[in-house]
Amino acid sequence: MITLEHADIRRILPHRHPVLLVDRVLDLEPGSRITATKTVSGSEPCYAGLDEDLPTSAYAYPASLLVESFGQTGAVLWLYSAATAGERREGTLIFGSAREVTITGSAYPGDVLRHTVEIDQLIGDNAFMRGETWVGERRIATLGSVLAVVREGIAAGTGS
Amino acid sequence: MSEAREKHLDELREIVAEVLEVEPEEITETGSFVEEHEADSLRAIEILARIEKKYKIDIPQSELPQMENLKAVYDVVAAQSGWQD
Repeated sequence: MITLEHADIRRILPHRHPVLLVDRVLDLEPGSRITATKTVSGSEPCYAGLDEDLPTSAYAYPASLLVESFGQTGAVLWLYSAATAGERREGTLIFGSAREVTITGSAYPGDVLRHTVEIDQLIGDNAFMRGETWVGERRIATLGSVLAVVREGIAAGTGS
Repeated sequence: MSEAREKHLDELREIVAEVLEVEPEEITETGSFVEEHEADSLRAIEILARIEKKYKIDIPQSELPQMENLKAVYDVVAAQSGWQD
């Protein structure tokens, strides 16, 4: 059973604070599956500058960041697996798409997101993944198909 | 056109339409994915991945640039699958 701490994750992912959204890897099976956590804190940048006296619902962790955190978890699995297999993935890591995403619950400050991701298809520099996000025993998201790609020589954020 | 070809074209049209988020009837045989439906390289790889999965074939990535419309996609897949439509 492979586990990774935050220092290890920083060596795998190019993301940095405050957009590095994977804290710890609980279990990783190269080429196959990963379980990782991201703790949601009240000090997240997404909660900065919110108005006073908002209801609890205003502090639901944004779905966009949840999906990004899931995608980064998948990227850890993909890049770690590639490195283990002696392959180098050179270039910019890009979030390609997320399809068949169902959000069925929310996470709040103090909650720990637990992503379970498996590799669905690998085609060259493109990885398709699927999985779920849990908070304790509650499943709060199902992600049918998330695409991460590595592209050479382009600025991050361009989709073509 | 043979029934087999018709069926395969419809299956491929369905896949392409789903990825490009348009209605299947909007996908013509020769209409350019890029020009008419704002496809990009990421959509192209999604189309390729779904086709590989459905027909259990491997399509060389070098074929991607040619797969610019439905007919071209059909031709590539037919060649890889050995369809005799």
